[in-house]
Amino acid sequence: MLFAAIFFFFIMRIGWIQLVKGDELQEKAYENRHRRVKVEAKRGTIYDRNMTELAISISADYVYAIPPEIRRSGKAREIAEKVADVLELPVDKVYSKITKKGSWFEYIKRKVDFEKSAKIKELDLPGISVAEESQRFYPHDTLAAHVLGFAGIDNQGLEGLEVMYDETLKGRDGAIMLEFDGQGKPLPNAVHEYVPPEDGKSIVLTIDETIQYIAERELDALMNSPTNPESATIIIMEPQTGRIRALASRPTYNPNHFADYSPKVWRNIAVSNVYEPGSTFKVVTASSALEENVIGENEKFYDPGYIKVGPERIKCWRSYRPHGSQTFAEAVQNSCNPVFVTLGLRIEEKKKGLFYDYIKSFGFGKKTGIDLPGEAKGILIPREQLKDINVATISIGQGIAVTPIQLITAMAAVANGGTLMKPQLVEKIIDKEGNLVKEIKPEPIKQVISEETSKELRAILERVVSKGTGRNAYIEGYRVGGKTGTAQKPGKGGYQKGKYVASFLGLAPVDNPRLVGLVIVDEPKGYPYYGGTVAAPVFKKVMEDALQYLGVPPQYNEEEKKERDAERVEVPDLRGLTREKAENALRSLSLKAQLMGNGDYVIEQTPKASADVKKGSGVILYLGSGNNKNETVKVPDVTGKRITAAAKLLEAMGLKLVPQGSGRAVRQSPIPYEKVPVGSEVKVIFTEEEIIETLGP
Amino acid sequence: MASKKSSTDFIFFFLVIVLLSIGVIMVFSSSAYTAARDLGDPYYYVRRQLIWATLGLIGMFIASKVDLQWLKSMSNIILLGSLILLVLVLIIGSTRGGASRWIGIGSLSFQPSEVIKLAMVIYMAKSLSVNSYKLKSFTKGLFPYLALIGLVCLLILAQPDLGTAVAVAGTSYLLLAVAGARGSHLFVLALSGVGAVIAAILLEPYRLRRFTAFLDPYADPIGAGFQTIQSLLALGSGGLFGVGLARGVQKCYYIPERHTDFIYAVLGEELGFIGAAFVLLVFLFFVWRGFKIAVSTHDSFMSLLAAGITIMITLQAVINIGVVTGSMPVTGITLPFISYGGSSLVFTLVGVGLVLNVSRYSS
Repeated sequence: MLFAAIFFFFIMRIGWIQLVKGDELQEKAYENRHRRVKVEAKRGTIYDRNMTELAISISADYVYAIPPEIRRSGKAREIAEKVADVLELPVDKVYSKITKKGSWFEYIKRKVDFEKSAKIKELDLPGISVAEESQRFYPHDTLAAHVLGFAGIDNQGLEGLEVMYDETLKGRDGAIMLEFDGQGKPLPNAVHEYVPPEDGKSIVLTIDETIQYIAERELDALMNSPTNPESATIIIMEPQTGRIRALASRPTYNPNHFADYSPKVWRNIAVSNVYEPGSTFKVVTASSALEENVIGENEKFYDPGYIKVGPERIKCWRSYRPHGSQTFAEAVQNSCNPVFVTLGLRIEEKKKGLFYDYIKSFGFGKKTGIDLPGEAKGILIPREQLKDINVATISIGQGIAVTPIQLITAMAAVANGGTLMKPQLVEKIIDKEGNLVKEIKPEPIKQVISEETSKELRAILERVVSKGTGRNAYIEGYRVGGKTGTAQKPGKGGYQKGKYVASFLGLAPVDNPRLVGLVIVDEPKGYPYYGGTVAAPVFKKVMEDALQYLGVPPQYNEEEKKERDAERVEVPDLRGLTREKAENALRSLSLKAQLMGNGDYVIEQTPKASADVKKGSGVILYLGSGNNKNETVKVPDVTGKRITAAAKLLEAMGLKLVPQGSGRAVRQSPIPYEKVPVGSEVKVIFTEEEIIETLGP
Repeated sequence: MASKKSSTDFIFFFLVIVLLSIGVIMVFSSSAYTAARDLGDPYYYVRRQLIWATLGLIGMFIASKVDLQWLKSMSNIILLGSLILLVLVLIIGSTRGGASRWIGIGSLSFQPSEVIKLAMVIYMAKSLSVNSYKLKSFTKGLFPYLALIGLVCLLILAQPDLGTAVAVAGTSYLLLAVAGARGSHLFVLALSGVGAVIAAILLEPYRLRRFTAFLDPYADPIGAGFQTIQSLLALGSGGLFGVGLARGVQKCYYIPERHTDFIYAVLGEELGFIGAAFVLLVFLFFVWRGFKIAVSTHDSFMSLLAAGITIMITLQAVINIGVVTGSMPVTGITLPFISYGGSSLVFTLVGVGLVLNVSRYSS
């Protein structure tokens, strides 16, 4: 009877638990066993205009621990030893991580080779798991750092285009509901409710990796020269479209290790610094004056070395030896201050505020709207407060502060026939498969000056280079126009002695400009510190290589032609030589070295050895870090490629493919961009199917 | 002495086989996942369970054929031998999980506490059948039994093994009641028994934690309340029909002692209320049939023996299910016939064999 009563009680009890409270308990058990795990969307790639990867996401394994599981297993020491052994880490470090109090998740190691992570998986230790994460990688290190910016550890854009296009690039994370056993291991068939991630879109830039490289190469050379300025910037733009082909500044940083640099270095001075442009701004004054017809035909100007504006005296830079009588074109050549002051005042005389309106029309005093964070709008005295003395100083680029991007955009308008274009960095947005999502067309803002004025001014600017202050920017075979600038840096209570900003603003070829460029050198050391001596040579080197790279046909004058036809030479085999030796060899044959890529060794050349070329022509040297002898190369990313394609790619890098499976590559060891000796084996796992990897929390 | 009149009680035997079969299946279902992960062999426990069950069935067969009068005459020696083993285990027993309960080597080891349970029933059945008239007196009748029970329980508690001690005390107590002890004595005993349990709980802090955890398992969900919570979650997940055999997930490291003490929770999850209630009904039939056998014989030794063994087995089932359903504080005790367990299964089946033996003497 007693037992009957007890059993009756039990039946009531299990009925209560299983039938009445069943749903509630079942839900609790479900929540207890399931965890929602984020499936990271892959961040889109940033390409240059020729689809060279500038920023990519690579996937790498990481090993993590769930400390409570480790403690429950009671084998922390043993686990630490095994894990440390595989990952080649100190045991004590691993032990303290996996037993950390109050933590549910601890990274043990990130970016783990898949062979090692496979070993960890095989050990099947309680509380130790492997998962995959994607990481941002900038294969060209510092190249275009200020344009690209960088993304943080959680793949969020933090600087540059990475932050401006964050929404486009980041995609949408998916989610996965996983069922775990009591030791924190996923159960077999544990995947429930899989919401696939939506990968980010990729962006294609207007930046041309080669031109960008040329600009950065020259910046590095400049920084390492005795000039050794505080900072320097180069911007190269296609004037017809406003598309930026190169934008670089020094000092710079490596976005792969952005945290190692001061945030000051992250700042993109090409768009966020304002400075007094000095004489380069005379391009604006000259175009306004031409457009407003305030210069008489064959008018002669006289420069006594200064000009009086009200009670003020504005000196010409060469007041010690005044320019005297000169035409307008000669005044531009000479960069003669009194003449430009006169012109500025004449425009203003015609109509109050007219010169100001031109300055505004050229885009000064407001943001250009370029796709970069932190753009400054410059400093411009309000229209109604503008006095004659202000007009006078602004005419020669003083008393006004501009950004480099504003100046080059204005120059583009002068070069393209008078239309101010919005500077453009992103050409299109594409999806993972390469389909076009959005095309970004060039955006004309306003016709600022007439075609006629543009043409006239270009001719005058050419004379600045052929005969005037910009002679150092002269490129044999190309018609170059431009304007130099040397401005004293303003400081507390006036200008600072010995602190200058040297610049050169130019275009080429003059008859049909393909590129406009701006070189700004901030605080060059020593003498001379003029734009014509410091910035113009840099402009010349960049433009010369860029124009040749773009295949712009040279236009030699008679004299040049004769010289060129004189001799032809045979191109030597330069492969395997150090960069220096190859450059010397070419110089001795009167050939020009054009360097491509990073590294100290020549891995390939164009034209090939024994080609018959004219003296003075360029030979492109593709540099790499390997001379194929106990040198290292960066392992390329072959994921997604089929075996033949992967083999080809690896072979080209001097690496051996060790394939496993068939289909498309899903994992590789070593991981992409790791440096390995030439001739190393790269193990690649290929698979025919899409695999959902086991993911951690 | 009763004469041999009828054949073996087939229904009683059948009920045991039903429970044993459910047990083998559930041991496999509940242990496969963890055995595969921990030992690399999902069949590890079920294979052993089959071996033990076979051994147990052989033991049952022998026990059902043994001369009960001989057994009666041997009861003192059996008890003495068991007591010696119980002392020995404290000295030379192997320690697992903080308790010295096993004697022997490797898979040949067994728990002396399993032997003493049976030995106590046999001894008490003999002793009470001879001295039942003395039982009305406290000092001459009841007290010696209490002293013996106290000694045995203390020895078992020293291992420590509260579950078995409670089972032995409970079985002995009920056997005294069946044998005709005074109601007033039994009431006082029940009170002091409760007092002893409370004392035992207060003496060992972990028992107190377990006890309070039973009252409110969510007060310490990852500590003392963990077992009860996971057990209730499993049962609750079962619902009416269960999630299906072998399909439960709570056995995947969530329920501790999944194939031993908490096997009923796995059963409840996989077979639902239907399955769990079915097992309870089978046990109920088992008690009914066991008592029927006990009252059908005129020999008081045999009657007390059959009743005692039935009580012993059923009481363990009650304690086990009480723990699993969160109706009692957690005490480690297996579910007879169903839980994985070597020596306990063998001795339980030997006990069943003795009851079957008795059944042949029914009038």
